[in-house]
Amino acid sequence: MTGPSPLSEQSPDQPTSPFIHQGPTGAMIRLALTNLALNIVTLSLWRFWGKTRVRRALWGNTLAWGDAAQYTGQGRELFLGFALVLVAILMPLLVANGVFQALLRSGQSWAALPLTGLQVLVLFLAAAGLYRARRYQMSRTLWRGIRGGMDGAAWRYGLLFLLASATSVLSLGWAWPWAEMTMMRYRLNHTQFGNRHFQCSARSAPLYGRFAVLWLAVALASAAVMLSPLLVATMGYWASSLARPRLFGFFGGAAALGLLMAALSYAWYRAAWYRELAAHTMFDQARFSMTATTGGLIRLTLGNMLISLLSLGILRPWSSLRTFRFACNHLRVTGEPVWTGITTQTSPQPRLGEGLAAAFDGVGDF
Amino acid sequence: MRSLPGRFHDGRNATTHAVQVTPTNTGLEIRGPDGLLIAFWHMADLRADGNLPKGQGIRLRCTAEGDARLTMEQAEFVRPLLPVHPGRSWRRPVMVVAAVILLAVGLWQGLPAAARYLAAWIPAPWEQRWGDAVADGFAQSLGRCTQPAGEAALDLLIGRLSAGLPPAERPRRILVVPSSDINAFALPGGTILVFSGLLADLKNPDELAGVLAHEVTHLRLHHPTAAMIRASGVGLVVTLVTGDASGLVASGAAMALAGTYSRDDEMAADAGAQQLLAQAGLDGHGLADFLSRLGSTGLPRWLDSHPAPAARVETLKRGPMPMGDTALSSEQWNAVKGMCGGPHRAPRKGSDI
Repeated sequence: MTGPSPLSEQSPDQPTSPFIHQGPTGAMIRLALTNLALNIVTLSLWRFWGKTRVRRALWGNTLAWGDAAQYTGQGRELFLGFALVLVAILMPLLVANGVFQALLRSGQSWAALPLTGLQVLVLFLAAAGLYRARRYQMSRTLWRGIRGGMDGAAWRYGLLFLLASATSVLSLGWAWPWAEMTMMRYRLNHTQFGNRHFQCSARSAPLYGRFAVLWLAVALASAAVMLSPLLVATMGYWASSLARPRLFGFFGGAAALGLLMAALSYAWYRAAWYRELAAHTMFDQARFSMTATTGGLIRLTLGNMLISLLSLGILRPWSSLRTFRFACNHLRVTGEPVWTGITTQTSPQPRLGEGLAAAFDGVGDF
Repeated sequence: MRSLPGRFHDGRNATTHAVQVTPTNTGLEIRGPDGLLIAFWHMADLRADGNLPKGQGIRLRCTAEGDARLTMEQAEFVRPLLPVHPGRSWRRPVMVVAAVILLAVGLWQGLPAAARYLAAWIPAPWEQRWGDAVADGFAQSLGRCTQPAGEAALDLLIGRLSAGLPPAERPRRILVVPSSDINAFALPGGTILVFSGLLADLKNPDELAGVLAHEVTHLRLHHPTAAMIRASGVGLVVTLVTGDASGLVASGAAMALAGTYSRDDEMAADAGAQQLLAQAGLDGHGLADFLSRLGSTGLPRWLDSHPAPAARVETLKRGPMPMGDTALSSEQWNAVKGMCGGPHRAPRKGSDI
């Protein structure tokens, strides 16, 4: 593994790299294939135990300040959490959806209203479920004999997400950086390790320059994608048959270029987003920073997308491994928390796993 | 026994204690650098708690001490000391897999009965609106053949076939749409849709009577509605088990299973058709004659919604064969054959009859 030694002596205001990931790729791929076989035999019910094994490998091979983290969650907890959500939430939702769909199809147009309500409810539940999943994962993370945790309320986060989505749509996307950062701050400020909370004061204002470029690129790309067939159709009518293929090539190229520009500027924006987030996050005496670059982020994302797509999602644990390595390689810390002051928390822990998120497939492997 | 170096976390705060661990007969003595005893872990409470990355050591915990952890590099000295716990039994996983399979088979077998039961409870106006929506879609895209003499002949034949049925089980209407496909199907709520390609292909009125009796039986037994309910049921169960909210897996499974279920419906409709023909005093050779001309769809058997025509013909011939009148007079038959006018293109293989 690359990266400087975590235990090397450095002056306190020099950033260090205390996080190192040592998980081998081969073992993770073997684990993913084993999980695939067991998923087939159990009609996909193994996935809760499989996911737990993947997390054990991801967490367990992560070193922080020389000590390995540990995932203490159980497959049974994920399964029971999912089963509970299935019976109490997913099944009533599906049945209600089916009934209103049937009513709508049989000519009762008022049924469109509760159907829209159900869609909003699903969005809310997906966001709240994500929050509960993070809370569960933090509570099952053990490092140096101390657990992580999360307070705050999942339903508040769900409402925050609805608000963020509504303002983003109404402002044609311009509220999105603000909304996303507000949600991220809520999550981080309610995340704790032992009795101590993380403190995040990251703002979206410094990101709006890059966001403006991203917004323009997306606007141009959508215009190119939506308008080019129209333009080809109208101009193709006048153009000679010889010029038509060239016209197609020109507008097709413009649309592809627009999409490429949008993707590149998204990575450019996202790299700044991560740096801004890390730079304004503290834990006790430790100040974080992130060295993620646009190029590195593109390599990570593109690689992960290819792995997931080409393996039909089977090798997704491998992309999770790459994400863990990336995060460990790029996270820097200035100063060190006073470990003696970080004591075990006394607040109650969630007993069951991330049912809601598992139901709406929100979190993947971690 | 000599002591070994280790790192100890007491589960109360995040401080690391460099410790010396001395194994004794009853447990592990964990002492600080000053030799003071920090903790004593009884052998019986001791558990291996995973390996450190890259085989750099072993992690131990003590069931009496919650989150406290002891990590040691010399795993080879520690492992033999750990109490041997019986390995996990293979029985539980096998039982779980067996239960899963049993549940799946139970659902698979129970679904048709549940769908039949539910289909009988769906209010008739709902069924009619669903069926009409589909029929209107066909009529809009393909048009309709509405020659009065032909329509009258078809209505007469349907009336004769369903004369012995309670009013609720009689078909509501029959539509003919111009299309070269040799096909006809029953829609929820009592509508029979006939493609003109079928009319062109039929050789005599008895074949028409056989095909219509088959569709009338589908309607009496609520097969179209039951099929819709079965598809939603399969989708619901698969979505619930796999947790795939996108519905991709669910619709795939529904399509694959639909055939398995509908093949039973087809056999039931064939048998019912012969009964209707007998009750109406009509000749029963038509359906078998028509089916024996029908080619196989070329779909793999398990995916096909219909049994192989040869198998159906054989079943029909094994059953009682009604002997009776010819269904239509030659004028009526000509009116039906000429309903859409004009010659037809070469028909496609396969059919929903």
